[in-house]
Amino acid sequence: MSEKRWTVGRLDGWTVALTLVLSNIPTFQLSAQHFSVGPQIAFGDYREVSSDLHYRGSGIAGSATVQWKKFSADVVLSKLKYKPSKDGTATKEFDASEVDVRLRYYITGPVSGELGFMNRTADPEFEAQSVGAVTAGAQMAYLLGPGVRMALSGGLMFGSKYSGGGSTSALGALHLGLGLTVEALRGRVRVTGDYGFQRFSRTTNDGSGDTAAPIQQSLGRIGFALVF
Amino acid sequence: MRVRLLLVLALAFAPALGAAQTVQNATLRRAQQALNNLDFRQALSAGQAALRERLTGYERARAYELLGFTYSGMDSILRAVDAFKQVILLEPERDLDPTRTSPKALSAFQVALTQVLVIRQLHVDSVSFVGGQGVVAVRYTVTQPARVVTRVLGPQTSLRIDSTVASGQVNIRWPARLASGDPVAAGDYNIVVEATVGQNNFSTSQAIRVTHGAVDTLPHLTSLPGYTYLPETEVPPKSWKPMGLALVYTGIALAGTSAFSSGDLGKTSLREGSMIGGGVILAGFIMTLRKPAPQAARGNVLYNQLLREQISRRNTEIAQENTRRRQQVALSVVPLPRAGGGR
Repeated sequence: MSEKRWTVGRLDGWTVALTLVLSNIPTFQLSAQHFSVGPQIAFGDYREVSSDLHYRGSGIAGSATVQWKKFSADVVLSKLKYKPSKDGTATKEFDASEVDVRLRYYITGPVSGELGFMNRTADPEFEAQSVGAVTAGAQMAYLLGPGVRMALSGGLMFGSKYSGGGSTSALGALHLGLGLTVEALRGRVRVTGDYGFQRFSRTTNDGSGDTAAPIQQSLGRIGFALVF
Repeated sequence: MRVRLLLVLALAFAPALGAAQTVQNATLRRAQQALNNLDFRQALSAGQAALRERLTGYERARAYELLGFTYSGMDSILRAVDAFKQVILLEPERDLDPTRTSPKALSAFQVALTQVLVIRQLHVDSVSFVGGQGVVAVRYTVTQPARVVTRVLGPQTSLRIDSTVASGQVNIRWPARLASGDPVAAGDYNIVVEATVGQNNFSTSQAIRVTHGAVDTLPHLTSLPGYTYLPETEVPPKSWKPMGLALVYTGIALAGTSAFSSGDLGKTSLREGSMIGGGVILAGFIMTLRKPAPQAARGNVLYNQLLREQISRRNTEIAQENTRRRQQVALSVVPLPRAGGGR
């Protein structure tokens, strides 16, 4: 009983401490650089090769954003446990750990250019394809209102490498994204929602000719971030 | 005709006798009475008799003036001129009223003026100015061509401010500065004008008072007259743009997902995109309903910036001007009442 009370007390303490920290962190909205970091809940849909290998899952993610002058960078780490969907024939679940890094440069108006890389590994290794690629694209951002910003991004993924082999043409891998950030507590906290879609038109060749083995993932992330 | 002329003469003469100083001498009063009665012979004999008596300067001038009018009435112009010359020497500032004096007497007076050397109507204007940036206007009339020297004499100062050969009205502009360029010290001064022709000379003076004061400084500006600051932010009109753009962005994301999904992988999952897209649309809708945030009015900001720069520049100039003004002195020159005529 005392153990329980101690746990609750510690939680209260952390809450108070966090509140104090947040209320004393100066906002740097007018300065040239921002840094934000925070946790997210992730949920996704993963398909591979055919409609039979269909997975749905959820997990956690963490995102960090740094902004300096015209440059900004996003780093997203996520780990989802994908479970076979009822409409498929897959039987084993797997964990997908993904790293997504984007470096962005503001060009003009709402448009920024993006360059980065992504890497997703599956565990167990043979339940799904691990994949890595270099990403290049653009982002359009718009301020819906005070502290509310949405962004639409899209681009291609080049040099895709798969754990199970195979290749993708230059225009065969692409990604789409939609994001929303809502600032709260005078800009010290951001509520974030992100959607990412990846599609790899992978082909394999086991000697009998090219065979389509596409990979597709839809990933949603909802969370918050502390702004420093 | 002759009677009318004499009446005019008498009218012109009467105010002179009735001036602030009065004639006390009985003989001169009898002569005046005779002139008023147009008895020229009696006026002439009484006037000449009065001149042999002890008279004040004023009475003597009146006696000669009476003789001038009497001789003019008797058409004895040369004698009238001689009599008026004596009047002018006694009272250099004396002038006859042309509207109330006979032409004969006036012409005799004018001829007399050209035959004596006097300086008349010495006048100094009251003026205030910053030392070095203004002048004191001095003017006088010299009746004959003569070398005229104008000096300023003070307790410790003797300045020759003009030397010229002139006839008629002369205008001088005196900057009220010493030879070193410094403004003259405060105090009472005399402006002395001396005219010389051969052995004849005449001088007159006018007292002035010079006072020093601080030069007014200019106040700093907080605004330019006629120009006001404009609001640097303005609330844009409410629009459906946030909602529209949220729909467009979400539509592109979902349509792109659907379009780029592989047909081999079955029906596209829009669950994740719909959830985030729904949030975007909801945010767009709320932002559409909310009062738009004030936005910077770039034109007004630039305008205000220009205005601030103008005011700042003007204040810098005013500060420099005030620094200069604090090192200056304001001179005031006032003529003092005259003590007497020339000699």
